[in-house]
Amino acid sequence: MQDSIVIDNLTKYYNGFLALDKVSLRVKWNEDVALLGPNGAGKTTTLKILCGLLRPYSGTARVAGINIVEEREHAISKVGAILETPEFYPFFTPQETLSYLGRLRGMDGSELEDRIKEVIKLVRLTEWAEVKIEKFSRGMKQRLALAQALLHDPPILILDEPSLGLDPRGMVEFREILKKEKKKKTVFFASHLLSEVALICKKVAIIDRGKLRAYDDISKLKKKYRSFEKAYLKLTEGAI
Amino acid sequence: MSELEKLKVVTKYELLKQLRRKRFYGALAITVLVVVLTIGLYKGLDLPTKIQANIPATLRIPDSANLFALFVTSVSALAILGAVFFSGDAIASEFERKTGYILFPNPVKRTTLVVGKYIACFIATAAILVVAYLISAGASLGFYGQVPGGMLGSFVIALALASSVISLAFAFSAVLKGSMGATIATLLTYMVVFQVISSGLSYAGYSPWFMLDRAGDAITAPYGVPLAQAFGGMAGGGQTIGGLMQASSDPALSFFVLLVYAGALFMLSIWLTKRREMI
Repeated sequence: MQDSIVIDNLTKYYNGFLALDKVSLRVKWNEDVALLGPNGAGKTTTLKILCGLLRPYSGTARVAGINIVEEREHAISKVGAILETPEFYPFFTPQETLSYLGRLRGMDGSELEDRIKEVIKLVRLTEWAEVKIEKFSRGMKQRLALAQALLHDPPILILDEPSLGLDPRGMVEFREILKKEKKKKTVFFASHLLSEVALICKKVAIIDRGKLRAYDDISKLKKKYRSFEKAYLKLTEGAI
Repeated sequence: MSELEKLKVVTKYELLKQLRRKRFYGALAITVLVVVLTIGLYKGLDLPTKIQANIPATLRIPDSANLFALFVTSVSALAILGAVFFSGDAIASEFERKTGYILFPNPVKRTTLVVGKYIACFIATAAILVVAYLISAGASLGFYGQVPGGMLGSFVIALALASSVISLAFAFSAVLKGSMGATIATLLTYMVVFQVISSGLSYAGYSPWFMLDRAGDAITAPYGVPLAQAFGGMAGGGQTIGGLMQASSDPALSFFVLLVYAGALFMLSIWLTKRREMI
């Protein structure tokens, strides 16, 4: 069985600017890996390619063994994603939004209804389920984003700065949800918060200026550089 | 789940989006107001007589259900501009407002998303056109005791025009960064650029039958009333006013031209959307 995420020599340019430079890494099934790096390092670009929102200049990206460029729809059906700060259609309620996305993912009937209730309860939006999203704060939208990512119970979660906009309680609750989910799912998430990464993941891929600088267990990096923070600073030296 | 089933889902929710927006009801209210006002002005101010006052009596067209329908439904066609407002942001807003981060990472082809959005925009525009034509038909029945047979043909051409205008808006929406830019670009292209080219061709002595705006003029052609004459100009049918050719639009040819615009621009918008990256 192939690894859940396989990135091989991935290169991406934005109008001549090299955003990703031959990045390669593999994430095993049910592994939780954080993609860590300073602003503009290439974290979001990597995740967007994995979700089929960007095309790589060269190299390949596979999700659940499926090439994301060649079989985008098939590959993306295995993924639940939160990318950047997602926005929702303001005139829909969470119930309608999840119903729309669930149907696009092949869910229907009581299975979909029950699952919508379940994920809405999980992210603590039950009281807001029938309220139009135009009234939502950023944190509430982030909770809804997590709900839609979990809706179809995908084997792989790809999350970009997932705790952005959450209040302290929201961040704790989010970590608890993720800790539970990662027991049965692969979690690949980007962040620039060392503390958050250390609390959620065992393994980290440090990326800087489009290059993969390190890919190892946090415990090993701590041992090698004396602390996780020092490891990060050393490996991203020269970053803005 | 087949792509056709996904298309039904996309269309349903895109239509729901259109119906939840105030702009739909605004466009509907404005259309009803304009049509009712036009009917009121036509009858209240005796427009057929006033507009044709400078034409020799032998050339005047007497008031009839066909002339009434020509006036009123030519105004009803303004409802098609609503299509621009429904369609201008259909694709661009997914990128501009970042809703695409939720919509695109789903197991559905972008082609299906664009087609679903297109059908929803078309249904919303068609609904407003139906209301406008029903009011016109009702008024014609009330005033003249009949509904002109040409009204159905006019309505079909109006739908074809709406379809091509939506395609034009989709093409701009697929390539431009902002929804507002796409809407303005569509309006300028349809109302200014096409008009300038059509007029230029007319002055040069070429019939611009293949231009979108000129083909759209065929909305009034099924009534069989010479347009230029009815609106106080010269006798229609290929004659000129100050060098400007006043060729009557052939309804069948114009309908075909509109379908070609609709199809070609729609295919272009799908191609552009499929290539567009969510940067």
